[in-house]
Amino acid sequence: MIADELVADRGVSAGDQWITVPAERVRDALAALKADGYRLLVFLTCVDHLASPTPASPDLPAGRGGASGEWPARYELVYQLRNLETREQLRVRAFVDGDPPRIDSAWDIFPPANWDERETYDLFGIVFNEHPDLTRILMPDDWVGHPLRRDYPVGGEPVDFSEEHEKWQTAPEKA
Amino acid sequence: MSATEGVTITKTGERGAFGGELLTVNFGPHHPSTHGVLRLIVDLDGEQIRRVKPVIGYLHTGIEKQMEALRWQQGVVVTDRHDYLSPPINNLAYALAVERLLGVEVPPRAQALRVIMCELTRLSSHLVWMGTSGLELGAMSMLMYCFRERDTILDMNEEISGFRMHTSYIRPGGVMADATERFLEMLDTFCHEMPGHIDEYEALLTMNPIWRARTIGIGRLSPEDAKVLGATGPMIRGSGIPWDLRKTMPYSGYENYDFEVATSDDCDCYGRYLVRIKEMREAVKILRQALDKLPDGPVNIDDRKILPPPREELETSMEAVIHHFKLFTEGYSVPPGDVYVAVESGRGENGCYIVSDGTHKPRRVKFRSASFVNLQALERMALNHMIADMIAIIGTADTVLGDVDR
Repeated sequence: MIADELVADRGVSAGDQWITVPAERVRDALAALKADGYRLLVFLTCVDHLASPTPASPDLPAGRGGASGEWPARYELVYQLRNLETREQLRVRAFVDGDPPRIDSAWDIFPPANWDERETYDLFGIVFNEHPDLTRILMPDDWVGHPLRRDYPVGGEPVDFSEEHEKWQTAPEKA
Repeated sequence: MSATEGVTITKTGERGAFGGELLTVNFGPHHPSTHGVLRLIVDLDGEQIRRVKPVIGYLHTGIEKQMEALRWQQGVVVTDRHDYLSPPINNLAYALAVERLLGVEVPPRAQALRVIMCELTRLSSHLVWMGTSGLELGAMSMLMYCFRERDTILDMNEEISGFRMHTSYIRPGGVMADATERFLEMLDTFCHEMPGHIDEYEALLTMNPIWRARTIGIGRLSPEDAKVLGATGPMIRGSGIPWDLRKTMPYSGYENYDFEVATSDDCDCYGRYLVRIKEMREAVKILRQALDKLPDGPVNIDDRKILPPPREELETSMEAVIHHFKLFTEGYSVPPGDVYVAVESGRGENGCYIVSDGTHKPRRVKFRSASFVNLQALERMALNHMIADMIAIIGTADTVLGDVDR
């Protein structure tokens, strides 16, 4: 069983069980859950809560758009776990801030996390400590910026040979 | 994409088991057998594979970013395009996720039509797989046979939705339109003829000595490895584990259909082939049941705040005009929260994770694609095989690069 001090908050969203864990203890929490039978990491991703409106809704707990809810931090790491025997699912959340935001890697606990963490690093700029090969995976190596952050504009890629080349270029200048 | 751009053949300086040096060889991204644009950096010892590093991202189109800029009902069109061989299944994952957040359930006829479209798609996706994999391993005529039946399926797509490939047929709140009489007739004929066509494919491949020599014992993935690496779909069922979301975590009324989960204990490329053949037969069975039991009734939920009113109502009702205007200028908003819904595509678990902040556009949409996760098992399967077997292994992993890169 996962220890109580690892669970900061828990609840249900649209029928899905979730818990929030402290970001610095995320490896302990994931290892404990794996020992509990949640042996499959379905996916790992990140949500950027930059200037997220948190509409008041008394049904939701704090931090999930609840009445008293400010987000604890800008980036929310989401780990979806599944128990293949009982078919239960559990979503684990961890909130991180900072520049760059950092969290411990879980690739040795759940091998599929390897590429998911590279993707999250590539698109959100989250740095996973102790990851064996934290390089860009979807964007080119020399890309500047992290496209899925909310302050990165849509249509940020310059179109070569276009009349409107200058106008379209909204991506950050290359270093 | 990686910093080792432009690698063709390089000596690594390491000694191999046969006394020679390891060679680094670039494979792809424009190699036709990579099913798109997959690039592999392969370390070879003689002809044997010692290391494989997949390099992906050549087909990255920023679909998740685009979804954040589109309204809830517009996003459906984009979901068609990541796994471009199974659009209705992608639609379904998205539609089910939005419906879970909205707290609505579609009527039985819509559920049955969704199942029909998903099974047709599974068939057409497997047909493309079988045709191209056959072509790569020397069975040239497979492509002609498989694309003949796939074309029938595309004709049916066109009949029911107006589009041959990117149908956008399944939408939050129901489906785009009711099935026409002609569609049901076409489906009936198809269900009659398809089992015979599957026998034809089997006659061409199952006992074919070349096909067997190229696939049996190649690309072994043990059940333990398949579980640990998170493989889904025919990859995990080809390793003998009966995990199929349609059975294990049913959605859209799949629990009402009688079908078997195809598995094979071979754990190799041939096993994955057998699984797909069996799945095609089961898909025809599901189609037949869905067609025979197709319930009557509406194909959309009756909620004017989510779906536009029927055309005729616009001429008589002021309220309908207002709803129509609001829906097409502003869209609808979805209650805040987040949800993950997974469906079984031809390739494995195709999931959609949506975060809503209560506005008329999603805050975050993440597609959990089967190909992306399955591709991580490639190195485990290819190790110590010949470089020529790489073609069979990539082929039976059945990754769609649009799905990998999104």
